[in-house]
Amino acid sequence: MPDEKLIQSRQRGNRLGIWFFKVLMQLSGLRGAYALLYPVCLYYAIFDRSAVCSALPYISRRFPEMSTLRQWWTSYRLFVSQGKNLIDRHALVAGAVGFDTAIEGYDQLKTFSDEKQGFILLTSHVGNWQTVMHSLEKLDRTVHLLMKPEMNPALKNAVQVDAEESRIKIISPEQDMGGVLEVMQALDKGDIVSIMGDRTYGADSVRVDFMGEKVNFPYSAFHIAASAKCPVVVLLSSKTGVNAYSVNMAEVLWPTLKRGTDRKVQLQEWVQKYADILENYLLAHPLQYFIFHDIWTDAE
Amino acid sequence: MDKETKLAEISEKLKVLLVDQLALEDVTPEEIENNSELFGEGLGLDSLDAVEIVVMLQRNFGLEVKDMENNREVFRTISTLAEYVYEKTEEA
Repeated sequence: MPDEKLIQSRQRGNRLGIWFFKVLMQLSGLRGAYALLYPVCLYYAIFDRSAVCSALPYISRRFPEMSTLRQWWTSYRLFVSQGKNLIDRHALVAGAVGFDTAIEGYDQLKTFSDEKQGFILLTSHVGNWQTVMHSLEKLDRTVHLLMKPEMNPALKNAVQVDAEESRIKIISPEQDMGGVLEVMQALDKGDIVSIMGDRTYGADSVRVDFMGEKVNFPYSAFHIAASAKCPVVVLLSSKTGVNAYSVNMAEVLWPTLKRGTDRKVQLQEWVQKYADILENYLLAHPLQYFIFHDIWTDAE
Repeated sequence: MDKETKLAEISEKLKVLLVDQLALEDVTPEEIENNSELFGEGLGLDSLDAVEIVVMLQRNFGLEVKDMENNREVFRTISTLAEYVYEKTEEA
């Protein structure tokens, strides 16, 4: 039976901690808020075994040559990196600070937008999603997130999802037909549909190679794109400076499915292309991948 | 051709298309009942089959995605789908 007092204490601690960070950011800017991250993350790295264990499946595969101690230290660095990401997210929503965003592949997306060509934005647990959403505002298209609404309440608040004036809407896959009709209609109108590519969350998936072992990645993005004859744009982003992000939307895939061949086999090939793109990106940006879950064990 | 005959014709065409386009191996068009549920129990189609059905309606009946109202009842059975196709094609 959970200790109610302990739960309440943790919730209070979380609220107090968040309030403290907000005040610190207002007083001292991003650097001031970041400064507190280091001891806080060190605390978690030392005393929260579950937090470290959640990071190790990725760290151990990205850096197999590292000793246990170095992998632990890298987990700490990953916590700090994620902490900066969360602070940036709040700062962006609050309008407290601006970020320079270098976007690779923007011209192609602008062409899609001008031609009313809808496309699927395939996202991953990489970088800062909110900075990407802000950079997409210039395209003047609505972005539909295919996700269960309860999956990320913080996300809803962070980007004002579903607000009347918002250009970000949610399509729930839990409704009849998995939200497919709404997705197809959005693409038909020339809008953008954002689908997570590196976690299944219960969706149908295929096994692909990722960082030397098998994982299950969902294939719905490629299936829908092939049927709707629209491209899949792989979205990757990383923090490159205190006030700087780079966004890569240059990898554009045009999936097709041939009749007469097992469609799942074909979809697996497309998902493998995505897995290869993501793995290659993580070679250069290893501390921008915030996957605190053993996705390799799920595949067994 | 009266409405009933037209609906029957559309229903039969839908069954053939479903089996063919969705590569349903365990069922023939003749075995699909008009009132069988398409999704979940019944024919057991899933959300990805829904993608194929949308495309199938576009290609074979000229229905535009934007015309497909957000009324999932029409996708419930062969009968409801045939009724929907009939209404939309008669409107055109």
